[in-house]
Amino acid sequence: MAVPIIELREISKAFPGVQALDRVSFEVREGEVHALLGENGAGKSTLIKILTGAHQPDSGTILLRGQPITIPDTRQGLKLGIAAIYQELSLYPDLTVAENIFMGHQPSNRFGMVDWRQMQQRARALLHELDADDLDVTRPVRGLSVGNQQRVEIAKALSHDARILIMDEPTAALTQHDVERLFEIVRRLRARGVAIIYITHRLEEVFLLADRVTVLRDGRVVGTTLEVSQTNQAELVKMMVGRTLDTLFPKDPAIPGEVVLEVRNLSYGRTTRNVSFTLRRGEIVGLAGLVGAGRSELAQVLFGITPAQSGTILVEGKEVRIRNPREAMALGIAYVPEDRKLQGLLLPMSVRENTTLAVLRQLLRYGFVDHHAESRLTQEYVDRLQIRTPSLMQQVANLSGGNQQKVVLAKWLAAKPRVLILDEPTRGIDVGAKAEIHRLMNALAHQGMAILMISSELPEVMGMSDRILVMRQGSIVAELDRQSASQEAVIAAAMGASELHLV
Amino acid sequence: MTSKTSSAVTFLPSRLQSMLRTQEGVLLVLLVVIVVALSLLSDRFLTVNNLLNQTRLLTETALLALPMTLIIISGGIDLSVGSMLAWSAVMLGFSWQLLGLPLPLAVLVCLLTGVVGGAINGLLIAYVRVPPLIATLATLAIYRGFSFGISQARSARGFPEEFAFWGQGQIGPFPTQFVILAALIVAAHLLLSRTGFGRWVYAIGNNELAARYSGIPVERVKFTLYTLSGLMAGLAAFIFTSRVTTTRADAATGLELDVIAAVVLGGTSIFGGSGSIIGTVLGLVIITLLRNGLLLTGVKGDATFMVIGIVLILAVLVNNLVRRR
Ligand SMILES: Nc1ncnc2c1ncn2[C@@H]1O[C@H](COP(=O)(O)OP(=O)(O)OP(=O)(O)O)[C@@H](O)[C@H]1O
Ligand SMILES: [Mg+2]
Repeated sequence: MAVPIIELREISKAFPGVQALDRVSFEVREGEVHALLGENGAGKSTLIKILTGAHQPDSGTILLRGQPITIPDTRQGLKLGIAAIYQELSLYPDLTVAENIFMGHQPSNRFGMVDWRQMQQRARALLHELDADDLDVTRPVRGLSVGNQQRVEIAKALSHDARILIMDEPTAALTQHDVERLFEIVRRLRARGVAIIYITHRLEEVFLLADRVTVLRDGRVVGTTLEVSQTNQAELVKMMVGRTLDTLFPKDPAIPGEVVLEVRNLSYGRTTRNVSFTLRRGEIVGLAGLVGAGRSELAQVLFGITPAQSGTILVEGKEVRIRNPREAMALGIAYVPEDRKLQGLLLPMSVRENTTLAVLRQLLRYGFVDHHAESRLTQEYVDRLQIRTPSLMQQVANLSGGNQQKVVLAKWLAAKPRVLILDEPTRGIDVGAKAEIHRLMNALAHQGMAILMISSELPEVMGMSDRILVMRQGSIVAELDRQSASQEAVIAAAMGASELHLV
Repeated sequence: MTSKTSSAVTFLPSRLQSMLRTQEGVLLVLLVVIVVALSLLSDRFLTVNNLLNQTRLLTETALLALPMTLIIISGGIDLSVGSMLAWSAVMLGFSWQLLGLPLPLAVLVCLLTGVVGGAINGLLIAYVRVPPLIATLATLAIYRGFSFGISQARSARGFPEEFAFWGQGQIGPFPTQFVILAALIVAAHLLLSRTGFGRWVYAIGNNELAARYSGIPVERVKFTLYTLSGLMAGLAAFIFTSRVTTTRADAATGLELDVIAAVVLGGTSIFGGSGSIIGTVLGLVIITLLRNGLLLTGVKGDATFMVIGIVLILAVLVNNLVRRR
């Protein structure tokens, strides 16, 4: 067998209070897609940061084509042909596509000035390889869809002539269509002999894409690397969480109560058009649609971030005005936003300060924060959501992606809302914790909470909703109940019947 | 857990080590070094009298630095504090001498002038959404213009003797304004570090959007901060007038620089999100002592400015090193 292109031997890495990696060994070959699985906080992102040179291991060796190497920083990592597309995309929004691709190594002319013409040509060529000719290399990255931004990131990696490409949860924020395009790109790169390390929480992707799979748990490799053809989903889940999960979507049908929220002809700009629907106590309503259909925008109107320009909102039968999030919260509405970094978290602040932010008023005594009550409340949600953190005072920035998402959830569950709007609630969350969150949603619905769930994961929408609303171009175009809904029906409604022929 | 990374300070006891990882710790060490050095250079430096006297000079800057700390943590800045001070002081002199108001009322006018100046800043920044740098740069000029316009470049003087109590008198062994300042430092520290309002200030500085999405009344918090800054400028104007017994339109010109330097030296991030009152107080003390001590040792005034500039840059460098660890 050929020498693996990269091999890790007994790599360990500790952060204060956490052994993130504990003697991890594994190898990747040329032309293979190697999946890396594990629960939130298992150490996946840390491992790849060591490979790219962003972190230094405490001990252990890295071998590139059999030679021991050290990777002091990411620049050196790139020189060695190791590139990564991180969980969080990291482009400069105001620079153009071409500038982003060649950031740090712009082609220059004889006079040492940037050779714009050459840069654009090469950028175009790289995007052509990714079958993304439609992307204009001279436009700024701001405003590009997530899928397109990701293609820019991949082109950036390829511009360094990467032989080892690491992808950390690349599909977490992609639409179905973009996911398929991404798979196509990954297969193409594999055929060219690139070694790909692929991290994901969506197990089905492992079977669609990967050749081999390694599972991490608590910073250690579980068992050995497996051939994908020799394993199955249940076994992988068992390796990840240490037990079997019976059902993926533990849904009990709701016993809907009276209407808590009713909206009529709600409009805001071009993104929310004449939206009407009702939400009852005890039910989970899925809000489906393509990215850009106006689902998050509708949520933001309901939560008072962009107050409605026309239409009426009734809460428990009474007409109300919602002009800002505070008014929405006072009415018992909570919104778990889509982008945790931008809209959800105070990254440099602690788990405790983040968890209690929305309910701080209830924890005040004479204006002073009652730290005991604060810790008690935070601990309760850390336990309930199994947030993995060495202490309540840990900076949220140091938590793994999935655990950060759980902190945002905790913040809004602590507010004990009557109406809970969830925008992609399980993005980046591992299978075990996902089932846990779904169970929690059920329990909350049982206690009478009304839940509006936005999700781009169709199986989640189908599995968890009592009713499904489908949005397209700012309007609700279909309402399907649990019995009659099928994936096809939802997709058809989301795309619009006329466009359906094209697919 | 053991970490293999070695650091240059491993020979120090661990308590000291962890203290050296904070800006406050670094400043404390710096302060000790400065005090020791200056007391070796001049025997007039380390005397109770001299040090207490210094607090008189420090008070006006300190009163402005307290709200400035909160404002910078929230991601803003207030450049107009010096002008607000001058405007308030001129209003004091004007309403007492020209309008003939009783002195206590004139003091109230002085405080209110600060509040109005601060509230205007607050309105512009929180509700009209003018960037703080631009809004307060504009009002820096405008308020200074008011001062000259109202005073007609004349200074009020001849205040009654009792009035001197606030800026020149004593409570027990302490200068009056030192007692007032001490109380306000404690209050500001508690406000920032213990109250819900303080938590909001940090939240806004770290991620204004997330703060908004969490139902924090961002506009109201900002408005309050700038108004508070105005109120403190009014109070500083009052104490200043009592200390120098005259009101002049060009008072406190450039004071905003001292104030901001002290806050930043104290470890408050100029980008917002982190900082503390304790740090600011240490920053103030260092700047004041350095200025005084160098003067006593015979260093010329211009050179003092340079030394302070260098200390500021060094402190920020050390701070960056500390954070990177
Ligand atoms: N810079 C850091 N400082 C302190 N702790 C850290 C740091 N980075 C990661 N950790 C901790 O190391 C552990 C592993 O984190 P890592 O990000 O590698 O998890 P992950 O497997 O990528 O999880 P996820 O699926 O949620 O993204 C976590 O407990 C995390 O809190
Ligand atoms: Mg991760």
